[in-house]
Amino acid sequence: MKRKKIFRKILIHLLLLTGAMIMIVPFVWSLLTSFKPAGEVFTRSPFWIPWPPDFSSYERILEKLSFIKYAGNTLKISALVTLGQLATCSLAGYAFAKIRFPGREKLFLAYIATLMIPGSVVMIPNFIVMRNLGWVDTHRALIIPAIGSAYGTFMMRQFFLSFPDELEDAAKLDGCSPPKFYWHILLPNAQPILATLGVMAFQGTWNDFQWPLIILNSESKRTLQIGLSFLTSEFHTDWTILMAGSILTILPIIVLFFLAQKYFVQSVKLTGLKG
Amino acid sequence: MDKALHQRLPAKSKRKNNYRWKESIWGYIFILPNFLLMLVFTLIPVIFAFGVSMTDWSLLSAPTFVGLDNYVRIFQDPVAKITIKNTLVFTAMSVPLRIVLPLLLAVALNQKIRGLPFYRTCYYLPVISASVAVSMVFLWILDTNFGLLNRFLVIFGLDPVGWLTDPDVALLSIVLVTVWRGLGFNMIIFLAALQDVPEDLYAVADIDGANAIQKFFHLTIPLISPAIFFLIITGIIDSFQSFDLVYNMTNGGPARSTLLLGYYIWRQAFDYLRMGYGAALAYLLFFAILLITILQWSVRKRWVFGEQ
Repeated sequence: MKRKKIFRKILIHLLLLTGAMIMIVPFVWSLLTSFKPAGEVFTRSPFWIPWPPDFSSYERILEKLSFIKYAGNTLKISALVTLGQLATCSLAGYAFAKIRFPGREKLFLAYIATLMIPGSVVMIPNFIVMRNLGWVDTHRALIIPAIGSAYGTFMMRQFFLSFPDELEDAAKLDGCSPPKFYWHILLPNAQPILATLGVMAFQGTWNDFQWPLIILNSESKRTLQIGLSFLTSEFHTDWTILMAGSILTILPIIVLFFLAQKYFVQSVKLTGLKG
Repeated sequence: MDKALHQRLPAKSKRKNNYRWKESIWGYIFILPNFLLMLVFTLIPVIFAFGVSMTDWSLLSAPTFVGLDNYVRIFQDPVAKITIKNTLVFTAMSVPLRIVLPLLLAVALNQKIRGLPFYRTCYYLPVISASVAVSMVFLWILDTNFGLLNRFLVIFGLDPVGWLTDPDVALLSIVLVTVWRGLGFNMIIFLAALQDVPEDLYAVADIDGANAIQKFFHLTIPLISPAIFFLIITGIIDSFQSFDLVYNMTNGGPARSTLLLGYYIWRQAFDYLRMGYGAALAYLLFFAILLITILQWSVRKRWVFGEQ
């Protein structure tokens, strides 16, 4: 019996390790490629490990391709969208969960219904709206529409529903108005859910591709994803450069992931609860 | 979703229509910023898109009303036909893989084994990686002449495959990259669902003499069926809208073999500036998603646990 159990454990680890290998090898491979001298990726065996590592592709990408500029743009956009979502979704979520007003349930139902609307449908009309507002080729067009979020509101509402009513009643007796209650009691106690939504919004905006592709034209306004995508037209099959660029765009999110892993995992679990 | 809505209903009936107006006003004020944004950038555009789909708008000249011409055109457009076929094949290949593989891994991870955080991190890395970077990495791995995968195949004496250049294989390659990228996400959802399954149910099944496979199919699957249901629906919606990988890896080629609906809509609207036709295609997608969701919900009762 015991031997059978150990055998089973080994089998499970073998399965999981094989899967993990398949997940990790592409990253390792691109990292290795990025440290090779350009050209040598075609001539030498693919399995040699570049030692000492050659940083020239990173130098080229940082000097020539204004990657720093793109990173700055992306950071600005992602940070503003995140802050905007945290502010508006927590306010709306609080109202939907705790404040009673006529039409609340109907309004909330409308919110839930918008979760069904695919992004591809609103993309074309939104572009036309942006064009009429004169917002094409601006960062505003990437920030402002992304702040309104039905999903974020839903998440916040679910969290605030679990807040004890007694606390609110007590606060009300002390003459605490809704804004004060929100600011002094609700927000300080909502730190985990704010972090979860924040991580989700930040990562989503950082990695967003299609909408920035539609909106941005100027080279100087590009986000990292757009910049990286345009690398292929300039550097075709210069894989060392392309891999260095990929690593650089992924790295900040991976760092964030290791700092806030708990909240990343939590955000996925909450998505699953939606069903 | 519905569960969440019902949670609130009892409270409502308890103190019906007893609103304090001062509090109510704060409610509206708090909702306003988010609601306005949703209204302007989601709700109104949905209606506006339908209007656009009935015009020949090219952005360069004023739009004229063409009725349902754009919708009729979809059925006469041979490329649209190819696109729809590709999208269905893509969905039929990717969605089952995106259910079975993560479920298998989640079950393995749920066996109280060591190293859970390590494995979870490995499987989650592709999820947080941007689609553009993933495309670049796989362009390189799948390169016919110098890519890692073909170099491996050659070592084992196999012929190199044109992963992204052979029209018979390219769509499969996009499927594999899609599955690779989404695996960790679905796995975490399954793992969370599995951890909610009460242990004593398995103990009862053990007493009844059920073997592992019986337990899996008669206990585990029914108990996590809400998660399976949710991931099938979101999987279908995702694959109907696929854009990033196709745009960055194949541009719909070779020989239109990877033209997918999400990409085709973008191409019509923003490459050819056919806003009307693009919007009609987008609406077709919307209806398809709605139809599938409604269908799924109506059969949900038959197989999703807790709905009977």
